[in-house]
Amino acid sequence: MSVETMNRNEGKNQPEVGRDVPRLESRRKVTGRADYVHNLSVPGMLHAKVFRSTVPHGRILSIDTSEALDAPGVHYVLTGEDIRAMFPHPYYGPAFHDQPVLALDKVRYVGEPVAVVLAEDPFAAADAVQMIVADYEELEPVYDEVEAVTSPVVVHDVLKPAGTFPDLKHLHGKRDTNVALDYQLRRGDCDAAFSAAAHVFEHEFRSQPVMHVPLEPMVSLAVPDHDRLTIHTASQSPSFVRMEIARLLGWPENRVRVMVPHLGGGFGAKLYIKLEALVACAALIARAPVKLSLTMEEQFYTITKHASTFRIKTGVDADGRITARRCEVYWNGGAYADIGPRVTQKSGFTAPGPYDIENVSIDSYALYTNRPPAGALRGFGIPQLVWAYESQADIIARELGQDPVEFRRRNLLRNGRPQATGTIMESAAIHEVLETVVERLEWAKPFDRGSGPVRRGRAIAIGFKASIAPTTSVAIVTVAADGSASLSISTVDMGQGSDTAMAQIVAETLGIPTEEVTVVHPDTDTTPYDMATLGSRSTFHTGNAVKRAAEDARERLARLAEEAGMPAQDSYAPAEVFRKRYGMQAGTVTGTGSYIPEYRSPDEDGQSPKVTPYWMIGATGVELEVDTETGHVHVTRMVNAVDCGTPLNPKIVEAQISGAAIMQFGFTMSEEMHFDAGQVTNASFADYKIPGIHDIPPLMDEYIVDAVQSGGPFGAKGVGESATFGVSPSIAGAIEDAVGVRLTELPLTPEKVLRAIRAAAGDPLED
Amino acid sequence: MLDFELRRPTSLEDALAMLDTDDPSVRPWSGGTALMLMMKSGVFEPSVLVDLTGVEEEHASIRRLEDGGTSIGALATLASLQFDPHLASEAPVLGQALPRLANVRVRNVARVGGCLAHGDPHMDLPPILACLRGLVVARKADGERRIAVEQLFAGYYETVLDPGEIITAVELPTQTGWDSVYRKTTVRTHHDWPTVGVAISLRREAGLIVESRVIVSAATEKLTRLEAVENLLAGQPSNAALFTRAGRTAAELVETIDDAQGSASYKRVLVGVEVRRALSQILEEGSGS
Repeated sequence: MSVETMNRNEGKNQPEVGRDVPRLESRRKVTGRADYVHNLSVPGMLHAKVFRSTVPHGRILSIDTSEALDAPGVHYVLTGEDIRAMFPHPYYGPAFHDQPVLALDKVRYVGEPVAVVLAEDPFAAADAVQMIVADYEELEPVYDEVEAVTSPVVVHDVLKPAGTFPDLKHLHGKRDTNVALDYQLRRGDCDAAFSAAAHVFEHEFRSQPVMHVPLEPMVSLAVPDHDRLTIHTASQSPSFVRMEIARLLGWPENRVRVMVPHLGGGFGAKLYIKLEALVACAALIARAPVKLSLTMEEQFYTITKHASTFRIKTGVDADGRITARRCEVYWNGGAYADIGPRVTQKSGFTAPGPYDIENVSIDSYALYTNRPPAGALRGFGIPQLVWAYESQADIIARELGQDPVEFRRRNLLRNGRPQATGTIMESAAIHEVLETVVERLEWAKPFDRGSGPVRRGRAIAIGFKASIAPTTSVAIVTVAADGSASLSISTVDMGQGSDTAMAQIVAETLGIPTEEVTVVHPDTDTTPYDMATLGSRSTFHTGNAVKRAAEDARERLARLAEEAGMPAQDSYAPAEVFRKRYGMQAGTVTGTGSYIPEYRSPDEDGQSPKVTPYWMIGATGVELEVDTETGHVHVTRMVNAVDCGTPLNPKIVEAQISGAAIMQFGFTMSEEMHFDAGQVTNASFADYKIPGIHDIPPLMDEYIVDAVQSGGPFGAKGVGESATFGVSPSIAGAIEDAVGVRLTELPLTPEKVLRAIRAAAGDPLED
Repeated sequence: MLDFELRRPTSLEDALAMLDTDDPSVRPWSGGTALMLMMKSGVFEPSVLVDLTGVEEEHASIRRLEDGGTSIGALATLASLQFDPHLASEAPVLGQALPRLANVRVRNVARVGGCLAHGDPHMDLPPILACLRGLVVARKADGERRIAVEQLFAGYYETVLDPGEIITAVELPTQTGWDSVYRKTTVRTHHDWPTVGVAISLRREAGLIVESRVIVSAATEKLTRLEAVENLLAGQPSNAALFTRAGRTAAELVETIDDAQGSASYKRVLVGVEVRRALSQILEEGSGS
């Protein structure tokens, strides 16, 4: 194996990396001692409540706040114009500067923040919100992502890319379009290949809008100082919040301080900038601390997962080899771009799937519509893509009369072969992941499909994801005079276990127990830059930075030992070094490390020799039962396997696998945001149904394939999303295996299943 | 929503006096599991809440009546129904259904009376009490009356109770000779409110069905008794062919509604399947008293 493995065992019997260290914060959480922004209160704090648009698309004619302003306990009622009077360009966003702090001129979705009440208590604020009256000139809305391409209805008059991403620059100033990004990739000659193909398959698959529903809803508190601003926020990206708020205010970054304690879940909902701009502006206008705590309902008006339409056309030769694939993907981005254009491109280039295809064409479109904004959600677009290409893989195999596993074996990429971008695959255990699921599901054995009203089926699906590149992480390791170590990073542990994994890297490198490493939570005054906690990037990026910082600290300790005249040796007891060097328990050693992986921007055809530092791979196999009289689907068994390189903490990885799979299981079976005239009609757990313990498959297995990620810290890479990939298509595939009907639109509700069964039997249900 | 008065009477008479008004913002309060949600979402803004838990002692008990029936105090929690030893032998269908009714936190505080008076068709308990031939005992300042559970509901979230009238008990006749089954169908998650609730009780003698109660809820605007299905079953030997006909008849007659859980036509199919399956289940298990 690698040099890493040798290093890790240096001078120690028990390696820290690879050990199932229990999470460092567990006790704090189960005893109710963990800090959350929701529990935070500061003297003189005003509570904010948002007044939201009731129309999906309209010109603001007037907003009457007078009655609300006179209500008891109310200090301020602010509208977009009040914000604009103080901050001339109050628009924010990671990809486009398109989102106003409060609506300006127009509203673009039901639920958009239009005004905010600042009051002494949250109930007074909520009451006063009811007294605000807004008058709109209603405009025609557009909701559907495909219609939005050609619709005369335009959500934004002009496109405003942020300028941070070079591939968005060409969109600057573009008018009268809802296409926020038109990403394309071309490789080979699709048209010629389709003409020469033995079979050509064309399908359309759709996925529904869903929400992350973190159990801790979004919350931010801004505290103004005389020339500084502190923001306590449940954010996955404190460094970005500081940069974006500083830009919005026209301040240097060092006058904005962003602090993040524990998060009650994130899943992408708390990325980039959400409530921070509003509390920052409100606090500066009110010259008082302002806290905004969303309700569960309000989260549904804040960020969602992209609904999508994927048209996929595949050419196959006589042997069942895929020779060409054309992908057209439409992403429903809602009213503001958020990170949607990144989803469109960074996920878009994997749309053909982990297959070795000579001729590929991808068009991936980010669309503005009059729905709540869509952004990152565990998988960053990948589950929507795998849903389509793996569903089609089963359809093709069935039509060709081939075993679906054989069909995949024949076509899957191997290391050393180019992916659609031209990047050569490496450290990608695609076949191993597939074979693990095949073996654990005992695919080769006969399978009883049942005979009565309940039929059984099974299927397998596999997907992959590139890392969002290029991104930077920085880490600081501090060793105190008694030898104890602290790690300062702006990576956010939102429940995924990154604090523990990062502490293990420090412990391994310094030769101390993980439990003795303290992880300092993000505070941009002291913790260094990290791009964000997203896209399963922390293990690889922050992990490498942490490793470098710990190595730097180790080297500095060695230098200190040399200065103290100690004999050269492999490792030192740090406390002894400090004592020898300074004559008493005194001093500090600080090691720093930063990491940015190699990356090459794609050319205009989407080609790049290095489009990602690593690939994440996940496969799912399921066995299920379908009640042919009611359409109920009961998944009796689910097997997930991933390539995450060499796991830093296998127990945490297993929880990431099952957690990701269960989350996508909800998005597959029951979760769906319903809309009526642009209004979300099920914005609560009463009617938006996430799976409970009785809903998940009674048998669930998680497997980590034996693998090493080159360039990864101790051979590791991220795993937070990998088990989402195969869930939806494997369940749809198993339904077809059981009852012979193919569903192409998520979620797979019992009614849809029954309707398909009845339609296939020539006895359709009435509408 | 900021201010309301919480009144805590210590006798039923005082409670009834406090509720003796036409003002709909004066409401009784017991477990509060439904009312709190309505208040939090702003659907209901009370001026006065009359807390009935002060009279809990006399009105929460589950008692065997002299004629062999059972009286369930309106303030009995759902959990107490679930674990009552007398009900476990008298009407085991309750203990079988309750673990899937809401969750343990709700069952520990929600009361039988509130569950009925709320008028929500998406509840599991009312169809069960209806198939057990329960009578609601309702009291207001000027008197008491008894209403069959299946006649309590006037429409979607509507009951026949008068303003100021509250439920004090539910009386079940003896269940000897009867077998009952409740089938809850959900389409989103296991612990969801029912999409269709089918409750059926049968009294059989010498292999023939003598009498029955066939109740459908959740899929319908209000809890519905399917007497045509009961008539079809009457005097017939219980067998698969009869049950298939009963299911078909139920599906034809029932008036289902569209909502977030599914279309009316899909629910109609479910009603047919579940009526048939409930009957088969009684035949197989003979569960009940």
